[in-house]
Amino acid sequence: MRRRPSLTVVVLIALATGLAAVTWGQSVSGEYKIGVLEPLTGPLAGEGKRHLEGFEIVRDMINERGGVMGKKLAFVVADAPDPTAAASEATRLITRENVKIVTGTYSSRLCGAASEAAARHNVIYWETSCVDPRFNKRGLKTVYRTEIDATGFGWYNIEFIVKHLAPRFNLKPGQLKIAFISEDSSYGQGVTESAVARAKELGLQVVAPVEYYNFQTINDMTPIIVKLKQLAPDVVHHIAYTNDAPLFWRQAREQNFQFKALVHAGATGYGGSDFGKAMGNDGNGVFALLEPGPGFKLDSLKPDGQKIEKDFRDAVQKRTGSYPLGAHQLAGGGLWLLKLVLDKAQSDDPEKFRSAVMSFDLPVGTMINGWGVKFSETGQNSNDRVQHYMLQWQNGQLVTVWPEEFTTNRAKWIPLGAWDARK
Amino acid sequence: MDPARRLGRAQIDVFAQLGVSTVLLGGIYALIAVGLTLIFGIMRVVNFAHGEFLMLGMYLAFWAYTLLALDPYFVLFVSIPVFYGVGLVTYVLVMRGVIHASHNVQIFTTVGLSTALQNLALVLWSGDFHTVRPWHASTPIRLGGTAFNLSQVVAFVIAIALTVLLFAFMRWTHTGRVMRATAQDREAAVLMGIDTDRVYRLTFAIGIAAVGAAGVLVSPLYAVYPTAGLQFVLLSYVVVVLGGLGDMVGALIGSLIVAAVEVAGSYFFGTAWKEILYFVLFIGVLVFRPAGLFGQRGAENLGV
Repeated sequence: MRRRPSLTVVVLIALATGLAAVTWGQSVSGEYKIGVLEPLTGPLAGEGKRHLEGFEIVRDMINERGGVMGKKLAFVVADAPDPTAAASEATRLITRENVKIVTGTYSSRLCGAASEAAARHNVIYWETSCVDPRFNKRGLKTVYRTEIDATGFGWYNIEFIVKHLAPRFNLKPGQLKIAFISEDSSYGQGVTESAVARAKELGLQVVAPVEYYNFQTINDMTPIIVKLKQLAPDVVHHIAYTNDAPLFWRQAREQNFQFKALVHAGATGYGGSDFGKAMGNDGNGVFALLEPGPGFKLDSLKPDGQKIEKDFRDAVQKRTGSYPLGAHQLAGGGLWLLKLVLDKAQSDDPEKFRSAVMSFDLPVGTMINGWGVKFSETGQNSNDRVQHYMLQWQNGQLVTVWPEEFTTNRAKWIPLGAWDARK
Repeated sequence: MDPARRLGRAQIDVFAQLGVSTVLLGGIYALIAVGLTLIFGIMRVVNFAHGEFLMLGMYLAFWAYTLLALDPYFVLFVSIPVFYGVGLVTYVLVMRGVIHASHNVQIFTTVGLSTALQNLALVLWSGDFHTVRPWHASTPIRLGGTAFNLSQVVAFVIAIALTVLLFAFMRWTHTGRVMRATAQDREAAVLMGIDTDRVYRLTFAIGIAAVGAAGVLVSPLYAVYPTAGLQFVLLSYVVVVLGGLGDMVGALIGSLIVAAVEVAGSYFFGTAWKEILYFVLFIGVLVFRPAGLFGQRGAENLGV
C-alpha cells in the first residue's frame, strides 16, 4: 500500500512550483537584453563613457514608456578600447550573453570590426555614432546605422562654407581659398575626402594637398601652420580627434596665423566639450558640424519631434545638469529609434527586423535631434534625413547657428578678426 | 608653387621658425628621455611604464593648478621629491623582483605596470582631456620672424639644466661612479663591494623623479589624459637608442635630431611622413652604429 504524500511534501512542492512560476513569469514579461559596446578604457574612453551615459539616459526613458516589445530594456555593457577588442567583445556578447542586438561603438576605428563580428553571427548590429563611409558598403544584411555617414559631414560643411560663409566674406565660391587638415583615421579621411571632392565640384580653390597626421603622436603643429600661413587660405577645414584641436588652435594663435574661419565636423576635437574647457573664450569662433545645441528651436520641429526632443533634453538635464552633448544625442537618438523599430517588428529576428526598419519613412523634425528616418537597402539612414547643424563656440559654449531656420542664435566673428579681438 | 621654394625675407622667417620649433620640441623630448636613458643605461631595463609616470606628473600639475591654483613652476619643486618617493616605492614593490630576471619578464612587468597606471588614472580621473593654462602658457613671444611660447622656453632651459646636472652627477660624484661601474659590469661591481640593489633603487628613483618633473613642465603645453604618456614614449625610446644607452648628452642631441627630422619632415614632405622618417633614421643607426651615435662601442651588449 502506498503512503499518501504528507502535507509537508505537498506544501513544499506547491511552494517550489509557485516560485518557479514566479521566476518564469518574470523572464517572459521581464527583461530584454541588448549588448552595448563602447570604448570605456584607453584613449577613446572619454567620449565612449559619455556615449554610454546617453544610452543609459534613453534606456531609462524607454523603460518609463513601456520598454521594448513589452519588456524592460536592459544592457550588457562591454568595453572596446581598440578594434581587436571590439571584434572579440562583440563575439562574446553574442555567444556568451546571447544578445540578438549589439549597439555602439562611437568610434570609426571600432565600428567596422564590431559589426563584422555581429554580421558573421547573423546578429543585428545597430550603430549610432561612427561615420566611416565604408561601414555600409560591405553588403552586410544585419548592419544598420542611424547616424549620417562621413560623406554627409563633408557635404554639409562645404554647403555651409559656400552658402553661408562665402557671401559674408564677399567672395564668390571660385574666389574662396580653402586648406584641409585632418587626423588620419577612417573618420577624418572619410569626412575630408568627401569635403575635398565637393569643394572641387563647386570650384573652390584648394590651396594644398590634405595634410594628414596621427592624432596620438602629433606633438607640434607649427610646421603645418607655417606652411599654410604662406598659402593664406580663407577657410581652414580641420577634422580633429582629441588634443590635436587645442594644440592646433594654440599654436595657430602663437604663429598669428590669420584665416577667416575654421570648420570642423563631428563630436570629437573642436566638437567635444573638452575643447571649450581647454580654451574658454580663446576658442571663440570655431565652427563644428554636429547635432543641435543651445539655440535650437523646438517649434521648428514636428509635434512628435517636439515632444520627444523636450523629454530627452529634460532627462539629460536631470542626469548631467547640462544641455545634451553630442555623444548623448547620437547614442540617445539612435537608441530611441531602435525602440521604435523593435516595437514595430515585435521581434529580433533579422528578417522581420529588417522589414520593420525599411518600412519607416519619417520626415525631418520627427525624432530626437530633429532627425527623420528613411533607411536605404544598405542599412544607412539617409544623409538628408539625418539633419545636421553648424554650431559655433561662443564664450565657452557651443551654440547652434545654422541652418538659421532651426535656431535663435546667429554666427559671429565672420570673418574671424585678430586673435585677441574675438570677445 | 611649393611654399618652401619661395625666396626672400618670408623664407628666412620660415626657416628661423622651423629652427626654433626644432630646438624647443627637442627640449621637451630631452626632458622626457633623460630619465629613461638613465634607467635604461644603468639597470638595463626598458621601462615601458615611463610614459605613465610622465602622465602622473601632468596630473599632479593639473590638480595642483585646478584645486590649489598653484603654478606648475611651483609644483615642479614639489614634484621632484614626490616622484623620487614614487620611484622608490615602485622599485621596491615591482622592479626589485624582476631586476635579475630575463628581458621578457622585465618587459611584461613594465608593460603591465603601464596598463595598470593608465587604467588607475582612468578610474580615478575619467578619460576627459584636461588642460592647465597658467598665464605663461598663453603668452606668445615674438622674436624677429619667429614666435613661440614662454612655457616651451622654460621647459627647454630646464631640460638643458637637468641634462647637465645628471651628466655632472654621473661623471664627478662617487655615487655616479658607482652607478657607472654597476652598469658596466654588474658581477664585478658586486665583487668590489658595491651594493647593486641600492644603486638600482637610486637609479630608478632619480629616473622617475626626472620624468615626473618633465610631466609637470609639459602640462601647460599638452592635454592631460590617462594615455598622454603614449604620445611621447615611443619617441623617447628612439631618442635613447639614438643617443646611446645611458648617455645624458647623447639623449639631448638625439632629441634634437629626432625633433629636426620631425619638423623638417612635416614641413617638406607632410606630417604623415614624420614617423617613417625618424624610424628610418632609427633603423639606420641600429645597423651602422648599434651602440648609438654617442655610446661606447660594445655598450649594446653590456648586461644582456
